[in-house]
Amino acid sequence: MLMVYTYFLFKKRKGMAIMKMKAMVSSLVVSGAILAGCSFSSGESASEDKISIEIFQGKVEFNDQFNELAKEYEKENPDVDIKITSVGGGSDYAGSLKTKFSSGDEPEIFSVAGPTEAEQFGDYLTDMSDTELADLALEGTLEPVTDDGKVQGVPFNQEGYGLIYNKEVFEKAGIDPNSIVTYEDLEKAVKELDSKKEELGIDAVFAFPAKEAWVPGSHLANAFLAPEFDHKVLEAYNAESVGFDKGEEFKAMVDLQNEYSIQPTLSLDYSQQVEEYFSLGQVAMIQQGNWIYPSVKQMDEEFAAENMGILPIPVEGQEGKIPVGVPNYWAVNSNSDEEVIQASKDFLDWIYTSDTGKDYVLNEFNFIPAYEGYDSSNIADPLSKKIYEYASEGDTIGWIFLGYPTAWGDYLGANVQKYISGDMTWEELEEDSSNRWESLRK
Amino acid sequence: MNNRSMAFWLFLTPVILALAIVVVIPFVYGFFYSFTDWNGLSATKFIGFEHYINLFQEKEFMNSIWFTIKFAVASVLLLNFFGLVLALIVTRNIKTNNLLRTVFFMPNLIGGLILGFIWQFIFVSVFGDIGDMLGAEGMQGWLSTTETGFWGLVILTSWQMAGYIMIIYIAYLENIPKELIEAAKIDGASSFQRFKNITFPLVAPAFTISMFLTLSTSFKIYDQNLSLTNGGPYNSTQMVAMEIVRTAFSDNQMSYAQAKAVIFFLIVAVVALTQVYYNKKREVEM
Repeated sequence: MLMVYTYFLFKKRKGMAIMKMKAMVSSLVVSGAILAGCSFSSGESASEDKISIEIFQGKVEFNDQFNELAKEYEKENPDVDIKITSVGGGSDYAGSLKTKFSSGDEPEIFSVAGPTEAEQFGDYLTDMSDTELADLALEGTLEPVTDDGKVQGVPFNQEGYGLIYNKEVFEKAGIDPNSIVTYEDLEKAVKELDSKKEELGIDAVFAFPAKEAWVPGSHLANAFLAPEFDHKVLEAYNAESVGFDKGEEFKAMVDLQNEYSIQPTLSLDYSQQVEEYFSLGQVAMIQQGNWIYPSVKQMDEEFAAENMGILPIPVEGQEGKIPVGVPNYWAVNSNSDEEVIQASKDFLDWIYTSDTGKDYVLNEFNFIPAYEGYDSSNIADPLSKKIYEYASEGDTIGWIFLGYPTAWGDYLGANVQKYISGDMTWEELEEDSSNRWESLRK
Repeated sequence: MNNRSMAFWLFLTPVILALAIVVVIPFVYGFFYSFTDWNGLSATKFIGFEHYINLFQEKEFMNSIWFTIKFAVASVLLLNFFGLVLALIVTRNIKTNNLLRTVFFMPNLIGGLILGFIWQFIFVSVFGDIGDMLGAEGMQGWLSTTETGFWGLVILTSWQMAGYIMIIYIAYLENIPKELIEAAKIDGASSFQRFKNITFPLVAPAFTISMFLTLSTSFKIYDQNLSLTNGGPYNSTQMVAMEIVRTAFSDNQMSYAQAKAVIFFLIVAVVALTQVYYNKKREVEM
């Protein structure tokens, strides 16, 4: 038996084997059910003439609002039925999507994060270049998922990160955030804040969550590695090796954040950093991005609206620039019927171009739009607004970490943890991490 | 076919089917995939034992196996010790017997994930604050080093599972005939002698069950590991189950992870079977 299925496995696409297998299993189940005396109802739904679009996406934060928007669309287009599944927590998403595909229950629209996933699911991605969104997308945002002129996805939104600071604390300490441009400026400010800790009522200057490998490994490292790859995701994605040209600066920044942080940093996690320490005003600065806005808002609405500012991470030669990138892309499954593909594209166009959609994107999703035709003064949250301004002026550092070899960011993050705990020197860290990069690219 | 065996198979079919569909078939498939370059979507070629050769040379995987073994030893010893002690306490004639049993058993009703987060708070914040007050260095920075992460996991598991093991011991302790104890008492045996020569041998079957349960669960722990330390710092407190999940879903090497899972299965099977075999033998001898 097994041999037969194995044969199918190698002969055909995986889906075929699974279909065969499903047929076999379901016939067994049916006979089993009959034997056991159960009744079996057929699973046919009544909505045969409706086009049903199943969406599978990896950004759980806006699941509720997205469902509301989908309902609005269904109201305007009664012949379309939209079903949304959101799976989050970063790494599980790709796994769940694979399970979905290999079980034959393929979604019509799904999200892919950058070139690595786009390549994995390459066979299932429709060319999106005929959509309105492909024309409207901000310059450079489509590049990471474009393969041979085929646009494989359109951006969700933009995100950016830097050093988010507490305006009140800075004011009290008499530090002008705009004066912080270079690393030396930052170091001076940090030392000053540290010496005034008691009067300012803070426990430490930073909360550096070294427990989260992605904070140093993906985000912080990105600021120092991006110039090496010319700020282009694809360049990093195709690179055979990494040189740590700015390794010394990277080290200095890790040391600075670690030394002046709440201790011990190795057990400090993201939620403590954002909710416990930053939004309650116990630290002056954290290295995070605009995505913290909803959590801070939940803790303290006034703080979120009035008290947050963002500074670029100082990198020599890149002063005043903020790392901005597109974390997720919408992709349409090319395995669907022509009609369904078109309906899926129409829905995506509608999200970002209709008035209802635009309103949701800015005010409900709190997205930083990655498309032309948005008025930045309508952006509600201060971090996103600031980042959109940086982005529209082109003062950005590319998000090349989306082009790291698979899981290399976590590997680098773990090495930074070793460095912090003293189990590895910085030279060993650079050497070991770049060896890993090379071996993953072979 | 006579009627009786017909009925026999009829009643058995649903169970066999369920078992086949959710356990046997995926197992066979998984075993098969470990010899291919399957990436979760498609497999293109057989690569034989390549994965198996590679995994024994991978430092991270070997570390996680070693860490799991250390963890299993520590937690099996502590779990059985605490389980037996708790069982001895609640089988005394204390008024609050039933209340105590419930209380001791309760941690077992809370899911591992939630427990992990609760204990994370205790280890990091509560321990930290107590350490601040007492000026005790050792209470600071729990879970930020490999050792504290290890003991954190052991404490969490013992706390969670001890009540369950206690129940098993209680069942056996209550089955010990009163006459034996009384006779020994009259013969002038001290309470330690009574425990050593009567109680202990008579609860020996309970050891078999508890050891088997604790050993296999400590090997397979995942959720507590995930929520308490998440492998940190630098993946040094990562147990095998977690390492496999990470290989499969974040490193995206599905078939390689599958090969690791096969090795993991073999280890657990060998350990558990050997242990049952020896305990059974000892029971007979005792």
